[in-house]
Amino acid sequence: MEKLLAARLHAVKVRPYLAGALFALHVVEDRSVPTMAVDAHWRCYVSPGFVAHTPVEELAGVWVHEVSHLLRDHHGRGERYAREHEEYGPGERLRRNIAADFEINDDIYGDGLPRPAGAVLPLLLRLPDGLLMEEYLRRASMSGLAADLAWLDCGSGADGHDRPWELGPDGAHGLNKQQRDAVRFRVAEGIKGRPGEAPEGWRRWADEAFHPPQPWRQLLGAAVRSAASASGAGEDHSYRRPSRRSAAVPGVLLPSLRRTPPRVCVVIDTSGSVSDAELGSALLEVAAISRAAGGRRDLVSVISCDAAAGIAVPLCRAENIELIGGGGTDLRSGFARALRSRPRPDVIVALTDGQTPWPSAQPPCRTVVGLFPRPASAVNEQNPDYAPDTPPPWARVVTIS
Amino acid sequence: MTSSTLLPASASASASATGTRLVVAEDLLALLRTTTTEPRPDEQLEALTLAVAADLPVLLWGEPGIGKTAALTQLAASLDLPLTTVIASVHEPTDFSGLPIVGDDPTVQGVPMAPPQWAVELVRAGRGLLFLDELSTATPAVQAALLRVVLERRVGALQLPPGVRIVAAANPRASAADGWELSPPLANRFVHLYWVHDREVVVRGLGGIWPRAELPSLVPERLPEAVAYARRAVCGFLQARPTLIHRLPNTETRRGGAWPSPRSWEAALTLLAFGTAASASREVLALLVRGAVGDGPGLELLAHLDRMELPDPESLLADPASAELPARGDLRQAALEAVVAAVGARPQRARWESGWAVLVRALETGVPDLLVAPATALAALRRDDWEVPEAVERLAGVIGLARLADQSVGRATAAAEARRTTEARR
Repeated sequence: MEKLLAARLHAVKVRPYLAGALFALHVVEDRSVPTMAVDAHWRCYVSPGFVAHTPVEELAGVWVHEVSHLLRDHHGRGERYAREHEEYGPGERLRRNIAADFEINDDIYGDGLPRPAGAVLPLLLRLPDGLLMEEYLRRASMSGLAADLAWLDCGSGADGHDRPWELGPDGAHGLNKQQRDAVRFRVAEGIKGRPGEAPEGWRRWADEAFHPPQPWRQLLGAAVRSAASASGAGEDHSYRRPSRRSAAVPGVLLPSLRRTPPRVCVVIDTSGSVSDAELGSALLEVAAISRAAGGRRDLVSVISCDAAAGIAVPLCRAENIELIGGGGTDLRSGFARALRSRPRPDVIVALTDGQTPWPSAQPPCRTVVGLFPRPASAVNEQNPDYAPDTPPPWARVVTIS
Repeated sequence: MTSSTLLPASASASASATGTRLVVAEDLLALLRTTTTEPRPDEQLEALTLAVAADLPVLLWGEPGIGKTAALTQLAASLDLPLTTVIASVHEPTDFSGLPIVGDDPTVQGVPMAPPQWAVELVRAGRGLLFLDELSTATPAVQAALLRVVLERRVGALQLPPGVRIVAAANPRASAADGWELSPPLANRFVHLYWVHDREVVVRGLGGIWPRAELPSLVPERLPEAVAYARRAVCGFLQARPTLIHRLPNTETRRGGAWPSPRSWEAALTLLAFGTAASASREVLALLVRGAVGDGPGLELLAHLDRMELPDPESLLADPASAELPARGDLRQAALEAVVAAVGARPQRARWESGWAVLVRALETGVPDLLVAPATALAALRRDDWEVPEAVERLAGVIGLARLADQSVGRATAAAEARRTTEARR
């Protein structure tokens, strides 16, 4: 026990931002556990034999490893994955455990925390580092590993599958869902408050722990639809013609339902920095969305834009849009071109990587920006101080990744 | 004209046969509808009840067909309120804003805005639960008219009486056909509850046993205490985190949801008071508070509640021998750190010594490793003329533990160093 607690202190010392979570764990000694395991209620089951023959510094690594399962909600995500893919059974449990371990082990060790001898790494299956558990599960079968690693067991905290030694939700010293959220939240806030101390992987976790990134398709769709259904376009009530109900209620003025399909103009950044695949998928998405919002295909036009804007091409068939350009970008010409076209668009959708100057004034129609994220390290060689402007506040920005 | 008059006389025999067949069908339907209920705690329903009781407009987000309407029916029955369901998407804006009726001389009389029948009936009843369903599939003009109903409780020229409670339902953006979303000012007025189905409840319910939620009831004796608690919690929290008083949602993912503003903090305060008076669990409070001010600020407020429940450091110092420390490690460490901070704020020898006594008490009742940080901090507060109390000797094990950890950190760094040098040499 002393050794185990000294290891926890070691972990707290080298990973101070995890202290709250490490101390929130309740230790349960149990001989039937292979090594160390956690359950979803933040109890940590420990085999005394394992502690006896493991050095303190390696135990510290195991502490951080186990608490990472809980912080990253592997039991909830594992269960969701199992339900979505209908994958149950001991083999699948092990697969989820291994994938969860991959997600953890590729970035928690080092810097005062030696990697324990048995730690599994994505390298074993020649997979890249830095993926999420779900991505590892999708990419590899892991069946080759399963036989060698059958002993590996991090408990229900890692995969959501109950074990015989666990105390269950009603047992003593468990944390309920709200308490678990509170601990995770405090750790995340601690990391965000002092971002210099934590490595990249933990910072990303802290940013996303309580605001998981939403699929960009839905966000872009919602942005375009809400822009397209604003006053003046889309399906709405109007008094331009009397309602058909009017005949039944004499003396009452009723509006009627009129449909004004939105005109959507898509300005596409065709500079060298945006890949064709990215553009293609985003463009198809915009076309599909505007169709769903009631627009006809001939009401969607496309302007490809690099340093100078091309001609607005009506989008009759998504397949034959010709994306011309390459080189530097100035989206301002694209916006000007879109606003010059007659009839004027109701919505401008700009698809860009953001490496461009923006119009200084708000255009007289709704604007949605689909932004392809670029790493901050991309430095312009001619002008290393150059930092691209962020999209203006009047545009609704959806990050497309 | 009924259908039987259309039938020729010879067909009446077969009509009666159809009648008996229908009777059998009805028997089958009656059997299918005979279900029993079992008591089962339901946090969602409890949160909904409390928010409705607190007279705050609630917005239920949930996929279609998930049982939002069923929940509302149960809620109306348990609150003994008549339920009026209005499906927004089949109405026109004038159904909510009032139908303009042109009279004989509009310049003199004005144009009255006549309210629809359901509103008149609600006003006549004086009380009821108004359920605005399918908010997200109505046209923008209908939604704009509806929001006036929700916010100002006005339908045309009619003012809804205070006994009427309003609940709305919307489909999440992902499944909403028209993708309507709330603008931040509107989102700020609702308590957002996310409705999800529980696999077990559905399977068991289809098997014939539906859950019956035990609805929370307000305890009259606890009301003043609940208000005091809620005020202390929210005011104390906002004093410590003034930046959270007002924060507009800035990213696309957070649009349309709850966000903190003085208005929504007032809602959170009200909900906290109602939850306390009803002795609601922390989960229910969490759903409500997060639904009012958003996830981040809500979670921070809940963490603040946890801290508020920590034992008072001064009373721990006053009577260390019988100090009751929290069982959870992180909370226990927070309580001990508060004790050390209290000693540091007014460093006196007697207080310093009882600080050590609290640490000894913590050692006797729990694991030693979380004492290291508070003990180091307390030791650093020593003045030259203060002698180390005898009790400190009993913390020797803690010091040993800290030394073990230090050695292990040292070994790990040395090993990493050695590996780096060999790699560099290679």
